[in-house]
Amino acid sequence: MTIDFTLNGKAQHVQIRSGDRLVYVLQKLGDFPSLVPDCLSGNCGHCLVFMDSRLIYSCITPAFKAKDTSIVTYEGFSKTDECKDIVHALTEAAAFPCDFCYKAKVLMIAELLERIPMPEPAQILEQLDIVSCTCTDPVSLTEAITLAAEARNKRKFKRANK
Amino acid sequence: MIAKQQNSESLPLLTTLSVPEMLSATVIRSRTAKAINLQVVPSKLPAGYRMITPKDIEEEGYGTYYSPNLPIFANGQAHYRGEPLGLIVGPDPVTCDELAQAVELSYEDQEPQFFWESFASSQIAYRKTFVYGNPDEAFKKAARVEKGIYHNGVFDHHYSEPMGALATWEYDKMVVYCASQWPSHVRDAVATVLRVPAADIAIKTTEIGTALDGRLWLPSQVACQAALAARLCRKPIKILFTRKEDYLYTSKQARSSVTIKSATDNNGRFLALDIVMILNIGAYNPMAEELVNQAMAAITGSYSCPSIRIEAYAVKTNVVPLGALGSIGSSYAFFAIEAHINHLAKVLPKTPAEIKSVNILLKGHSNFGAEPLETEIPFRRITEKLEELSDFKRKYASYELVKKRDPGCREGVVRGIAITLGYQSDRSFFKPPAMNSYTVEVALDRTLNLTINTHGAAGSPSVRAMWKTTASRFLSMDEKDIHLLPPVCNNQNQCGPMTLSRGATVVNQLIERACRALQKRRFRESLPIIARAQTRLPPRVTWEQNSLVGQPFAGASWCGTAMEIQVDRLTGEARPLCVWMVIDAGRIVIPDRALSSLRASILNALNLCIGEEFCPETVSEENYLYQRVISPSLYPTMQIEFLGSERTTRSKGLGELPFATIPPAFYSALTQAIGLEPKQLPLQGSDILKRLEEE
Repeated sequence: MTIDFTLNGKAQHVQIRSGDRLVYVLQKLGDFPSLVPDCLSGNCGHCLVFMDSRLIYSCITPAFKAKDTSIVTYEGFSKTDECKDIVHALTEAAAFPCDFCYKAKVLMIAELLERIPMPEPAQILEQLDIVSCTCTDPVSLTEAITLAAEARNKRKFKRANK
Repeated sequence: MIAKQQNSESLPLLTTLSVPEMLSATVIRSRTAKAINLQVVPSKLPAGYRMITPKDIEEEGYGTYYSPNLPIFANGQAHYRGEPLGLIVGPDPVTCDELAQAVELSYEDQEPQFFWESFASSQIAYRKTFVYGNPDEAFKKAARVEKGIYHNGVFDHHYSEPMGALATWEYDKMVVYCASQWPSHVRDAVATVLRVPAADIAIKTTEIGTALDGRLWLPSQVACQAALAARLCRKPIKILFTRKEDYLYTSKQARSSVTIKSATDNNGRFLALDIVMILNIGAYNPMAEELVNQAMAAITGSYSCPSIRIEAYAVKTNVVPLGALGSIGSSYAFFAIEAHINHLAKVLPKTPAEIKSVNILLKGHSNFGAEPLETEIPFRRITEKLEELSDFKRKYASYELVKKRDPGCREGVVRGIAITLGYQSDRSFFKPPAMNSYTVEVALDRTLNLTINTHGAAGSPSVRAMWKTTASRFLSMDEKDIHLLPPVCNNQNQCGPMTLSRGATVVNQLIERACRALQKRRFRESLPIIARAQTRLPPRVTWEQNSLVGQPFAGASWCGTAMEIQVDRLTGEARPLCVWMVIDAGRIVIPDRALSSLRASILNALNLCIGEEFCPETVSEENYLYQRVISPSLYPTMQIEFLGSERTTRSKGLGELPFATIPPAFYSALTQAIGLEPKQLPLQGSDILKRLEEE
């Protein structure tokens, strides 16, 4: 079958098979180092993408689900101010995820802040479950997320929450 | 306030590494745990794909063993399910995977040996006994003799990136990219199988991640497979395990059974210990001797005992190779001795704290029958600080009172709290001592940029940041002008394994020495200036267990952990509420980074307590779908304090401390909460519930 969707703002017209996983289809459409078909079971988070602003594991999403949606990978997201806020906050809080999960964690934080502009620690911990890599301690990550939330709110609403 | 730290240079990821004309390779694996007359049946493959078996390797004149008794591919016999038998090489990795799974095998199945606690003599891979004092005499005179058997489970390392290797050529050299804690072992292994001088091979380390000491020797096997395939196909070859393959078939933490028989007086003071330690190392493990030695050395934990007899075995079984995790064998020992103290407390009856206080190791004690300890051991200070932080005495008494008043536990939720003490030795690792050698070269160039070259690979960005900060402080330079060269292992350097934190602090000290040497020459000589430093272990502080010479705890870092847990008696779920940790690890180079590493290590160590155990005998592909690390919703509150000594200028390793103290602390707190002695770890909700029901 043929499906149409936008990928990082560009229109795509792709021939797929019904059993194709979205991650493999996306990989063929360009150079996306952030997309790693690693666990293929929706666990590790190395294939996370935004589909219509919802964070999904592209390894367990059938490719046909992408029909008429807008997909954003880390490569597309990295050009946004939201991403810059998060990267800056991670550095500020000395939270350095390993290179293998870094991009997934940035997307995970972005999705949380989009849903909850100033998340509580319990909500942050719940969100950490999305990426299973244990390289970074939760205290530094929580601090980074709080800093990112403050920067984002300041930029978007001209105010900080604290 | 968290200080800003500049992110350090990162190493490449194998996943994203690619070279022109590169082919992929997938390992063909045994589908049975034990078989003879095993053969891969040749089959027609699509154009561009090729099968490589041991026969092809022999025909081309290459070696099939990369170390004595360690085959690259099983030849004729399978020793465990998933053992490599050959490779499928081709342009598309997914097709290679499909072809490898479809390969036909012919073999005669045999009954696998999964038993290990009572074992046949043919299963013994390594055996060691150690006696000092007069245990037999002490047992005769003892007021009380108690015995307990304590078990530790098998755990996966949960690597950040799955295992793999990329073999290619750069000029006239074969270059192998792989994430190894021991690059010179990889180089020697590849040179052995290719039958070329080691000088013709260079190893470039990729990002190791939180390997927890799981990348000590297995990367050598994968690197040899990639290098052989590259030679046979005359093209660069990349092997990258799938996550499922990595979970099912890479090495795990060894399983252990420790039987402790103790002779004590009426106060619980140890008079003698008689210990039998059995480590199940799976099909094979070149580190069996090290595992046994490290576990034996740590068996008395933080306690002193005048007479001891230890009998330790590394036993082979038909499961995946089982090896090191975290503290290389020490964690089994610490858990066993602390669990035994809990047992003594129950039977004497006394509190665990009372038994610990009469046995605690102090300066002047003579442990292992060696000379009296010259090292100041800060356990008293650590305990006092921990009691203050955790409000230990009040909580302990309260939970005991609640248990007495409400033995049926109408509330449904019970709590427990415990303090355990431990240490991380900087005892040298491998024999011969040359294997513990590290070198560092620092070079200040004409543009006033400093490059640090060490072949030891850092396991985390925190370690790299620590090395840069050390150089920056010694030379008063900005960190942005300091660069770490990517570790390359070639003929010029020989190195030992970089373990979780021991090697990292050794390299840090070498950087200090090299920078000091460079500083002396800085304004006397013209640039560039190069200074080198190499490991130099003074004989006085090293410890030789066989001859009992030296100081066993010189250079050790000390730690105490208090943990409070809550157990839901309806579900059996044990939830760690709070962890307090007090550490004396000398000078802490970057406190924030150290805290961050420790917190991550605490969570990994908690996985050994309540995480999912890996059952190598029965594990299936379905298990892989449900394997998880502990949920962030179970993360406890963590408070860590450093007991710094102003006089201390030396930094010591601390990454293993959570593995030494968290499992026993969890176990002790659980024992108080439920009033039972499960004598094993890990314990999931269902295990605890079962024991409560049995009660």
